[in-house]
Amino acid sequence: MSKPNILFVCGNGLGSSLAAQMATQDVLDMKGVKVNLDHSDLSSARSKDADIIVSASNFKSRFENMRDSLGEVDIIYLDNIVSKTEIEEKITPVLEKHGIV
Amino acid sequence: MVVINWIIQNILTQASIIIGLVSMVGLIAQRKPVSEVITGTLKTILGFLVLGAGSGVIVESLTYFGEMFSEAFNMRGIVPSIEAINGQAMNDLGLGSAISLTFLGVFIANIVIARFTKWKYIFLTGQAILWMATMTTIGGYYIGLRGWALIVVGSIGGGIFAVGMPAIAQPIVRKVTGSDDIALGHFCTIGYLFAAGMAYLFGEKGEDKSTLEEIELSSSFEFLQDSYVSMMIVMVPVYIITAIFAGPELSLEFSDQNYIMFAFLQAMQFVVGIYILLAGVRLMLDELIPAFRGIAMKIVPDSKPALDIPVLFPYSPNSVIVGFLTTTIGAVIAMFVLPIFGLPMILPGMMTNFFAGGGAGIFANQAGGRRGAIIGGILHGIFITLLSALLVGVFDQVGFVNATATDSDTIVALLIYAVIGNLFGLG
Repeated sequence: MSKPNILFVCGNGLGSSLAAQMATQDVLDMKGVKVNLDHSDLSSARSKDADIIVSASNFKSRFENMRDSLGEVDIIYLDNIVSKTEIEEKITPVLEKHGIV
Repeated sequence: MVVINWIIQNILTQASIIIGLVSMVGLIAQRKPVSEVITGTLKTILGFLVLGAGSGVIVESLTYFGEMFSEAFNMRGIVPSIEAINGQAMNDLGLGSAISLTFLGVFIANIVIARFTKWKYIFLTGQAILWMATMTTIGGYYIGLRGWALIVVGSIGGGIFAVGMPAIAQPIVRKVTGSDDIALGHFCTIGYLFAAGMAYLFGEKGEDKSTLEEIELSSSFEFLQDSYVSMMIVMVPVYIITAIFAGPELSLEFSDQNYIMFAFLQAMQFVVGIYILLAGVRLMLDELIPAFRGIAMKIVPDSKPALDIPVLFPYSPNSVIVGFLTTTIGAVIAMFVLPIFGLPMILPGMMTNFFAGGGAGIFANQAGGRRGAIIGGILHGIFITLLSALLVGVFDQVGFVNATATDSDTIVALLIYAVIGNLFGLG
């Protein structure tokens, strides 16, 4: 099975999505998990072909509106987008579902 | 000697190569494999060149808009966009190499200050550092600094802001997040504190003041969280109304399409340019920021990461929407009021209204409850528009096309240069 793609999304795809991506990288490195991580803005997220999307909880309604066009993707919402505890807690069940952990 | 001179003249004056080398040093310092060093360096150079392409698109649209606006209203209409300023400075004004080296210098100054003082903030919002490096470079250039002096002064100034701004925001950030783990790294902090101060003065007082987060807000404004959508929603009518007042003749000099249709397309081109430019910034920062973070965490082990403002948005989502709306209202008021005092007309900058406005909403809500958030937000919109307007004179002399900067801290940094320059009769 190929490595799944995890996409981090914020308004501009510059600052906070990269911050969340770096925090997640640390979590996954600790677990020894290898996946592809990338980040983008909200407008481009749809065309990015992600298996898992990670975003901040204030974007929830935006993703729910475009749920149908996103296809089979798991979406994780974070309250503190750089909290390693929260990331690990929320991402682990999704990774298990994808058969990675 | 000949060889060295040739390298300096042909390679080291290329800003794209400089920023590529900065990235390469970062990757080597992290002991990355050779393949990653090469691809990372190339991607950084690609990012810089994409940024330049985006800037070209923006300038074309702004040139058209500037002329149409003067024709229509017999006055200047300036578009506030730090992205457009950065693009023009990096490319058209030939400051790209200096900005790239100052960008690296701000990182280094930040690490040094954090290492040796009690302020352990490491500023990780790459684009904000790039905007700051842009403005300190423009400021230094304006007062006549050149060569290494330009870069060293800009780096130290930027480094002080990179540590100082998170430090002064931290008391409120601590209240918003309920912890001391993260800090705010976004160069609109002076605006946020202004909003909080106004909210404190005019808002609700005491421990039992209300908060916006307790009310149910209509979700009809949530689509504005998509920054490109909100930019289009403002730029399209602004361009079309301008075209209606300017009439078809001048438009013919740019294109023989129907002038209203052409105005629509030019408005979209502006957003296209921002989109391309930010895609370039993303490519550039993807290599630089993780490298910077890795190095900083080694040198300053007890550091606190200062992160982009949307990190606070999930803690206070209603305040973000209210802050965006009230800041936009304030910006529109200032757009009409500032020309009365002889200042240029500054159009609403939607990128900054959203991000800086959202942050101001959070700070003002924290300081003065619901009433504070609304009053603080409107005054914040007026305040940041006034700052943008004060810069236009400096920017005209340096040679920018119809644009001014946003992001209060970077403006204040540049104004400090301008004031010092005037004191010593420079610039």
